[in-house]
Amino acid sequence: MIREVECTKRDKGYAIIFDAMASPCEVLIDSPEQWLASLIGEQVAGEAWRIEDKYSRYQTTSVCGQLNANAGKKCPIDSETFHLLQFADQCYQLSDGLFDITSGVLRKAWHFDCSDNIPSQQQIDRLLPFVGWQQLEFDENHLQMQQGMEIDFGGIGKEYAVDKAILLANQVIAQHAKNSVPVLVNFGGDLAVNGPRDKEQAWHVGVEHPSLAAHSTMVVTIKQGAIATSGDAKRFLLKDGRRYSHVLNVKTGWPVENPPKSITVAAPKCIQAGLLATLALLQGKNATKFLKTQDITHWQIS
Amino acid sequence: MQLTKTTDLKGLLTTATCALLTTNQVSATETAVDEWQFDTAIMYYGESDRVTAVEGIVAGQKTFADEQVLNLKVTVDALTGASANGAVAQPDVQTFTRPSGNGQYQVKAKQTPLDDTFHDTRLQLTGSWSQPLYHDYTWTVGGNLSKEYDYLSVSVNSNLARDFNKKNTTVSAGFSYAFDQIEPEGGLPKALSEMTVEQFGSTEFDALFEQTRIGSSDDKNTLDLLLGLTQVINRNTIVQLNYSYSDVSGYLTDPFKVVSVVNQQGYSQRAIYEHRPDSRTKHAVFAQLKTHFSNTVLDASYRYMTDDWQIDSHTLDLRYHMALNNGHYIEPHIRYYTQTAAEFYTPFIIEGQSINQDISADYRIGEMDAYTFGIKYGMPMNSGDSLAFRLEYYRQSPKSDGTAAVGVLNDVELYETIDAVIAQVSYSF
Repeated sequence: MIREVECTKRDKGYAIIFDAMASPCEVLIDSPEQWLASLIGEQVAGEAWRIEDKYSRYQTTSVCGQLNANAGKKCPIDSETFHLLQFADQCYQLSDGLFDITSGVLRKAWHFDCSDNIPSQQQIDRLLPFVGWQQLEFDENHLQMQQGMEIDFGGIGKEYAVDKAILLANQVIAQHAKNSVPVLVNFGGDLAVNGPRDKEQAWHVGVEHPSLAAHSTMVVTIKQGAIATSGDAKRFLLKDGRRYSHVLNVKTGWPVENPPKSITVAAPKCIQAGLLATLALLQGKNATKFLKTQDITHWQIS
Repeated sequence: MQLTKTTDLKGLLTTATCALLTTNQVSATETAVDEWQFDTAIMYYGESDRVTAVEGIVAGQKTFADEQVLNLKVTVDALTGASANGAVAQPDVQTFTRPSGNGQYQVKAKQTPLDDTFHDTRLQLTGSWSQPLYHDYTWTVGGNLSKEYDYLSVSVNSNLARDFNKKNTTVSAGFSYAFDQIEPEGGLPKALSEMTVEQFGSTEFDALFEQTRIGSSDDKNTLDLLLGLTQVINRNTIVQLNYSYSDVSGYLTDPFKVVSVVNQQGYSQRAIYEHRPDSRTKHAVFAQLKTHFSNTVLDASYRYMTDDWQIDSHTLDLRYHMALNNGHYIEPHIRYYTQTAAEFYTPFIIEGQSINQDISADYRIGEMDAYTFGIKYGMPMNSGDSLAFRLEYYRQSPKSDGTAAVGVLNDVELYETIDAVIAQVSYSF
């Protein structure tokens, strides 16, 4: 992807557009000052690319790539990685083991390419020993996982980048602007705002549902906080009239049954919204019940 | 997942998110690894009718991949002008011999005696290396070399810091050891001996001057110990507390300073070379608070120092950083300093009084107040560099330690106020 930041004028200010983490990213800034918008845009894009370069599992040189390549050894980690691991640990505990950043190895058996290529139980059984957060050890300075295991920050990386972007934008605004400047950060549908627009107006955002083949967008309004969407995208398998979602139960290694096609959740921070949406999908057909019981603001497409 | 209604998932997640997003200050604005960051500055310091100094600084910082940090700094100072020699002003013209013995200077009636041949060039090199160690420890080691025409200073220092509480608390301990050597032109004066003034240029003068000399050089050793605590109070506020102990031993006298001996009518009879104790122990505490408001930062600090020369000092320093909407900033600065006199300080001696072994009329160790008022204006440059200007006014007001003036000394200024202007331009890239 080309790393360029584009700045265009819009109704109440400027839009910054760039590509990161395999998604189109935009930052909307309600300020007439182009230099401020550009400064925020450059900082936010820089941060998104930094997180992508550091935590992409596809880049062998990334921190994540190196940790996976050195599985079995005790690897040094920095403070940011430690805090992300700590967050992943808390999510694992909170979800009773359903959210597990070591589950990526199951992809070796499951290829969600819309084919009918369903793996055998044998194939899955061979991989299950390498899945399991509890087998991994880490402290503030080191991480050690068993040989053959992999970690993947894909489930939280983009949302984390959105939250960091808002923090960074606020930092730039505090340093350089006299008044508050409303900002919206949208990384491929995971988004957050730093507050309402002028005169307490809400932001209206079109959220594209990746699950829908037709490019249908749902408009949501947001004044505060963040929104994240989790869905089964265009990724599934079909065999004997049965649809296998790409949402895997890490305990069985098999897809969760009948999850909603897409869930959008609102929360104070994007990383929370993302996690809640993922946890809801993992409930399969009980997703709605889960969201209601937990009193979570959501939009759902079944 | 056995999630029941009693499991407050949202609440628990909020706690986890807070920990992730507030402790992690890593961001794209951080200086890229493996690049040198340079700060340069040129400063002018000018006292009215006295010392003028011009200083140039080039400082470089390089951060390596494993968070090691190398700092190097070169400072060049050029000082010229006049400095008070310690003698009192008189109703008549006074003549003094230069510290080198190679010349004399005259001071006009009612003027504070200043030696106007004060000029020196100083070159200073400073370096430090900071290295993260196992489990939240950071070790820093550094050195300093400073050379002037008649002065050499060499020091080494080391500091160990440990982070606690997710880096919200840092405790550090360090030491510094310095060796200083002074080798003034014309040698070191004999304590309390009389400055040779009469018959300048004759062989008698040279013989007498020679009798006031005790050697060509002497040195001193300084050991400093430092304990520090830095505490992050919340996202906007950070507090630092330091305690330092300093032990200096060796030659602490200023070989260029004298004390006037006056008669009962206040007329100067002669000037004798000063002498200070050969050791000094200082204790200091320092507290600093930095707090960030929406687009301003308040930086307030206080320092208290006490030593066994009986000098106690208090320093209050306030800076207020205000960001302007165009990226520029203004930073007003106020500093107040006050100190009590050293026990052996005296503005002059009356003939016939017994003279202690230690005696000095140097106003810098007398009672005094000082104020600084300044303003700094900074702006980012297109390329990410930054440019800043600083202008400060400094006023030093020496005060009487209670010694009553006698005779004609009532008609002269014994405690002359010094005004200075400091101007600085700095550029970081």
